[in-house]
Amino acid sequence: MSIDTHDQHVAHEGHHESPEVVDGRQRLAVWLFIGGDFVTLSALLFAYLYLRGVNTDGHWMNMLGYQGHTFGWYENLAGSAAGLPAPTLIHVHPLAAGFNWLVTLVTVISAGVVWLGERGLRATKNAKSYSAMAWLATAVVAVAIVLTIIQLRHIPQIFVAKNDSHVMAYTTYSSAMLVLIGSALVHLLLLVFLGLGLAIRSARGVISGEKWHQARLVRIFWVWVALSAVVISAVTTTVNTIH
Amino acid sequence: MTTTGQKKSIKSFYWTWLALTVLGVALSIWAPGHFMPRSMSNDMHLSILTIVIFSVSAAPVAAGVYAATLYVLKNFRYRGEGVPPAGADFRGNNVMITSWLLISTVLTIFLLVWGLGALAVDNGSTGRNPLVVNVTGQQWVWSFQYAGTNVKTNELYLPLNREVEFRITSDDVTHGFWIPQMGVQVDANQGVITTIHTTPSVTGTFDVRCTQFCGLNHAFMVTQGHVLSQTDFNNWLTAQPARA
Amino acid sequence: MTTTLEHSAPKVTSKAGGLARHQNFGTALIGGVLVAWLAWFIARRVCDPTGSGYSDLTAIWLGIGWTVGFWIGIGAFNGPLRWIAGRDHTRADDLYYAGEGQGRARYWKYTTDHKVVGVQYIVMTMVLLGVGGTLAMAIRTNLIAPGNHFVNQQVYNGFIAVHGMLMILALIVAVAGPWANFVMPIMCGARDMAFPRLNALSFWTLVAAAGLLLTTLAVGSLDSGWVVLAPITNQVGVAMDFFALAIVVFTVSTTVAGVNTIATILTMRTKGMTLERLPIFVWGSMIAAALGLYAFPYFLLVESLQILDRTVFTSFFVATGGGTGWLQANLFWLMGHPEVYVILIPAVAALFEIASVMSRKPVFSYRTAIAGMVGLAGLSILVWAHHMFTTGWAPTLGGPFMLTTEIISIPTGVFFLVLIGTLWRGNIWMKLPTVWMFGFIANFIIAGITGIYLSDIPIDNQLHGTMFVTAHFHYVFVGSVLFGAIAALAFWFPKVTGRFLNEFQGRISFWLTFVGVQVTFLAMFLSGLKGMPRRISSYSILFEHTNLISTIGAYTIMSGMLVLLGAIITSWRHGDPSGPNPWHANSLEWMVSTPPPLENFDVLPVITEDPYTYREELVRS
Repeated sequence: MSIDTHDQHVAHEGHHESPEVVDGRQRLAVWLFIGGDFVTLSALLFAYLYLRGVNTDGHWMNMLGYQGHTFGWYENLAGSAAGLPAPTLIHVHPLAAGFNWLVTLVTVISAGVVWLGERGLRATKNAKSYSAMAWLATAVVAVAIVLTIIQLRHIPQIFVAKNDSHVMAYTTYSSAMLVLIGSALVHLLLLVFLGLGLAIRSARGVISGEKWHQARLVRIFWVWVALSAVVISAVTTTVNTIH
Repeated sequence: MTTTGQKKSIKSFYWTWLALTVLGVALSIWAPGHFMPRSMSNDMHLSILTIVIFSVSAAPVAAGVYAATLYVLKNFRYRGEGVPPAGADFRGNNVMITSWLLISTVLTIFLLVWGLGALAVDNGSTGRNPLVVNVTGQQWVWSFQYAGTNVKTNELYLPLNREVEFRITSDDVTHGFWIPQMGVQVDANQGVITTIHTTPSVTGTFDVRCTQFCGLNHAFMVTQGHVLSQTDFNNWLTAQPARA
Repeated sequence: MTTTLEHSAPKVTSKAGGLARHQNFGTALIGGVLVAWLAWFIARRVCDPTGSGYSDLTAIWLGIGWTVGFWIGIGAFNGPLRWIAGRDHTRADDLYYAGEGQGRARYWKYTTDHKVVGVQYIVMTMVLLGVGGTLAMAIRTNLIAPGNHFVNQQVYNGFIAVHGMLMILALIVAVAGPWANFVMPIMCGARDMAFPRLNALSFWTLVAAAGLLLTTLAVGSLDSGWVVLAPITNQVGVAMDFFALAIVVFTVSTTVAGVNTIATILTMRTKGMTLERLPIFVWGSMIAAALGLYAFPYFLLVESLQILDRTVFTSFFVATGGGTGWLQANLFWLMGHPEVYVILIPAVAALFEIASVMSRKPVFSYRTAIAGMVGLAGLSILVWAHHMFTTGWAPTLGGPFMLTTEIISIPTGVFFLVLIGTLWRGNIWMKLPTVWMFGFIANFIIAGITGIYLSDIPIDNQLHGTMFVTAHFHYVFVGSVLFGAIAALAFWFPKVTGRFLNEFQGRISFWLTFVGVQVTFLAMFLSGLKGMPRRISSYSILFEHTNLISTIGAYTIMSGMLVLLGAIITSWRHGDPSGPNPWHANSLEWMVSTPPPLENFDVLPVITEDPYTYREELVRS
């Protein structure tokens, strides 16, 4: 390799790279992480659709178990001479589509707030109002998190006896919803972290009218999270029951 | 005298190649039949034949790589002291690249065509009144239930020259149903029935082994099977006590 | 011609680095154990002790606690917390993190210098290979004779699983870990990786994952085979929880490393280092990293679902709840086959580099070589179901998957063309790296051809699940990848240590290992042909001789590896001094001093041609 290292006239400027160079590198990394996340999302949706397609023994939305019983009931009976009755096939219903879309809508709104904030920052160079927008977006995500947790608690479970014990089990539909909504929750928690970072950093002037690149980095990821929420909702609310 | 990589006679390469190819082809023809279990079905014949065909066609390729490697080692090795001088400065050879790709593509297509053809007949049903055997794997025994009867055994009995349809499932974890002498293998999955066909072509004893790891006694999930003549099989079947 | 000149002005002040001044592997262990205990304590309060998933749930909490505590203790959260607080690292902090002036202590810290991370990976790979190799010896000893019980059946069953996964993880990092970290950034003409702190994160996350994986050996047998497919795993105790969590944590490590590698190569190259002038190993690193980025999310997912099935009773892989093991097999092999090439490609790319330097000739058809690697990576995502030919899943897809699998032999064949074409009419310098490279060529052809048999369904119906498959992929991993990894180690060892790896000991090791591989795995092919299933602890008298031969071969490999270990340890301290460029190579890692200084280049070089033109005068013999 022919190299030239003799030209030493350049001034000593310290370890300095232009913000554009650093930003380009970081944007590439964000896109690569999104690429990995995209594969995960596709695999999740593949699992959802595959399980629905296979529907082993017709158990996509039902399972042998006990309707609406409690652990106390189980423990009383399991110890008694009568023992447990035979389990019956319990059916579950799909999660409310409206609520699902509501959570997605809130997530999309938070992404919109972040995007508007970034546009404002780049146009007006006002870091203080950007900070306010970041706080607002974080608050909206917090709402989405509360809604997501409510949704998680509504995923239907079925009381079954298993391994000489009792468990609340999930049918495959519920299982797939649990992991889809769970993964949305993980992403939202990440957004809270990022949102707080944007808000605090812009308040401290680390993000400013001149140094706005990180605002864009976070926005790219934020929009991706909102987009994946839309995709998840679109798939799970249109393709769920088997007729 | 310099030792920079000049062209050298390539004759020795061809002779090595030829010798190795002959050796490889001989091994390819001899080894599979010698080491593999005795073939007791057409599917097994097909498996062994395919291994032989693939080996014979792979032999010149492997021999070529080995011969080239030996040639390189003999002719282009630097035997002087210190850092060797620069070798020939060529960065590719389009004729070589194209012909290499062409040859490997042709070989691949040949293997594919053969493979797809073999696949079309392998373990397939001929649809001629097969004997249906329901196979159930459970930790760590096989059980065989003969359809249309109440006969259930832990050793497998099959009639000669009649197609058998195995319908395989599992009571617990995944097992692998395999008859090494018949080239038949498919998993036993809980909640699912998998189907595979074969036609025993020789009378005698064979093995049934588990090929999916299934827990503590996986190594011992082995049983025997017997291919009987049609009449022996019918006599055997009627003599069995019914087991639910 | 312009050149940028950089200098590192600020001296490390006494306060630079902040909290990191007090953090090292010791605090990481303490943090891991403390938080693990805390998480376990809380889990025992919160979870229902009569519930069926109680032990699994507490084990998972414990494992998560260990990982988080380890991250806290090593300092992985310092950066993110400083980011959120808007108190970014100063230049002095960065230099502290890079390990400036910390001597050997920096190898035990969250050090961002890519060369430190590279050395950490060398040692880590050797530890993993050592443990996995010990398990392999226990397995082979058990199989020395029919009905032998060197270890009991249950322990044996656990050993095969942990041996398998440990070796896979070790080989994923065996070439890319040390060399895509130590030499790759220098090859690009970069001062460090694109994201130095992510680099440290990827290494220490691997350590946390290895801790979890080794825990499986201590908490009962993982008797489920290395692919850990349900439903057999539902019968495994908490060992399975630690195993699954180890994989989840491991995927974090590989994903972070993959992003970092790609970003480094695409954005950190020095002036004039066009993509056409990149050393081919850099290309190999990038292709493998991209493939890993695609493959490992499936790994993350499949083991996460496994954990959910075990702890909160989802039904992904449980037939009674509508699930199916085939989902898991699909997800596992969607990861599992690309992963083989994540392992193989860096080794092959390193060998291209070695072949060129040691034969004093340009890489034969640089572009074909890259196309071969890209083609291999691209096809490898379309072949996963050939691992499932005999599962009964989708028999109609057998033909298409056979097609994609057999086509993959075309780009694989290109590797031989490139290697031998590079050596052709060169002046081959028979040094240790060259010797191991020839070993690779001899073994890889066997690995490749036996793979073609298994891609053919009629043959696979006979040989699937037998020792033939085991022998095939051991030719890939031991015969090929390990040989490539050792060649790479011998090649770049002088750059790391300033000393040669002992030539004599290295050659003894080579011959022992090379002969051992042939003896062990050729005999293992015969065991498989004769009809011996995989993963069995005890076998019929039919397979007596071939197994005895395999075990003798395995001991030969072991002695070869021990000689190599001895050579590495003694040469590291006492080997012959090598100088900065012992192989008279032209790529940038040989242009810097040995060991390379912090941030590698005082003045960033400008590149005007690729590194494959050798200009030594002809010498008279």
